[in-house]
Amino acid sequence: MTLEELLALHAPPAEATLSHQELVRFFWKYKGMVKERERANAYWSTTNDNLKHAYERLDEKEQELARANAIMQDDLQVGSQIQQALMPRDSSALGPGFEVGVYHRQMTEVGGDYYDYFRVKDGSPATGVFDISGHGVSAALVMAWLKSQLAQAMGHSDSPAEILSQVNDVSYEFLREVKKYATVNFVIFGDGTLRYVCGGGFGLLLSGAEHTSFDKSQHFLGLRKKPYVEHSLPFKTGDLLALYTDGMVEAQDPEGRDYTVRRVNALIEQHRERPVQEIVDACVADYQAFRGRDSDDITLMVLRKVG
Amino acid sequence: MSEPKNDSLQIFGSLVAGFAQACVNLNIVAGQRAGRLLSNYEFGAWYPYERLRELERTVIDSYTSSEPILERVGIEMMKAWYTFGPGKEFIKRGEDFLHFQTGSLGYASVVKGPPEQVGLFVLEHIDSAAGRARIHSTTPFDKHLERGVLIGGMSAPGDLDFVDVVYDHTTQRYLVEYH
Repeated sequence: MTLEELLALHAPPAEATLSHQELVRFFWKYKGMVKERERANAYWSTTNDNLKHAYERLDEKEQELARANAIMQDDLQVGSQIQQALMPRDSSALGPGFEVGVYHRQMTEVGGDYYDYFRVKDGSPATGVFDISGHGVSAALVMAWLKSQLAQAMGHSDSPAEILSQVNDVSYEFLREVKKYATVNFVIFGDGTLRYVCGGGFGLLLSGAEHTSFDKSQHFLGLRKKPYVEHSLPFKTGDLLALYTDGMVEAQDPEGRDYTVRRVNALIEQHRERPVQEIVDACVADYQAFRGRDSDDITLMVLRKVG
Repeated sequence: MSEPKNDSLQIFGSLVAGFAQACVNLNIVAGQRAGRLLSNYEFGAWYPYERLRELERTVIDSYTSSEPILERVGIEMMKAWYTFGPGKEFIKRGEDFLHFQTGSLGYASVVKGPPEQVGLFVLEHIDSAAGRARIHSTTPFDKHLERGVLIGGMSAPGDLDFVDVVYDHTTQRYLVEYH
């Protein structure tokens, strides 16, 4: 019987003999297998040790990551508090002649949408809604910059075009450097009129039977260094003005359909006789029922001239 | 392992690439690092010997006890050389590898530089009937890796039932037993 024939059996035969040559082969085959097993044991033992150490290192890294994440969360929380402090607490800066409703929601702890109420050089009330590119801390820092620049510019002019041109002039290099830009929607209210500059934002004025959408063809802050052009519209008691960013209108439902400007404007018109916060709430409820998921910051402001 | 004395010692790309491929096959290096590692070497180019040392350090730094790993890398390198490379053209039996590796197409063909740095890899004695051989090795290679190369190269043809290789650092000799 050869070694191969012997090893091919499922059990040792009752009687069998191997030649000396086959016995020698059997001996070395067995010894070879033992040797190979020793090498394999050493290899796998080392590999196993290494795996154990890798898991230990992974645990350490996981703990480091958790600590770093906690620090970041704390920083974001502080950033969010700072940003909230920079936003207006109420619309009292506009004075008693306006009823104002606002919905403002950010995607993350700190966001890129910014709205505010102001008084310009001659004391006229003003408001602005801005959408800074991107989200997060970088957008929030740009917002803080814009707020300070707007405050300075408003002390020198009562023209929306002049104010935004000045802000753009002093911000242009900075915004280019940090690769940011911002849409603008800035309105100054006068006696029976409003003047606005709009670049990329959305504005709707409902005055009696007239429906006027803002001309939004002006440039974004930080994209072009050239003067702004302002527009003027009548704005009488009872008129309704809505200003909003693209977060709502560019939202999509689960099938990928856009929410659209037309839908927002139709809702505002449908509810125009209700108190402004109810108009805002109706729009938000409709939007929330429509959208598949939130993908951008959202700001919707509705004002009514009341006196 | 003796240190190369200067940068003039060079190693052939097929050996460095073979080492890298073995590391990937054994999952010593995985993921994106594996892709980068394999794209680093051309088979037909010459590289400073330090490149192989860097690869060895990758293994040594990754394991608390790297000796069995380097030995397995050597075995894996020769397995790939025989199975997928030109190995079958040069050796038919396990014993042939001893003559091949110590001949002009073996070690001498993949390392070049000053002779005192290249070192020796010489088959001093062989007794085919007893299945024993002795090799004098003063090469700069890690001896666990080199031991794996000998075991892998001799085992690759599949005709040997037993292969054992022991290195004696004092005499710088490999004692090879095979049956």
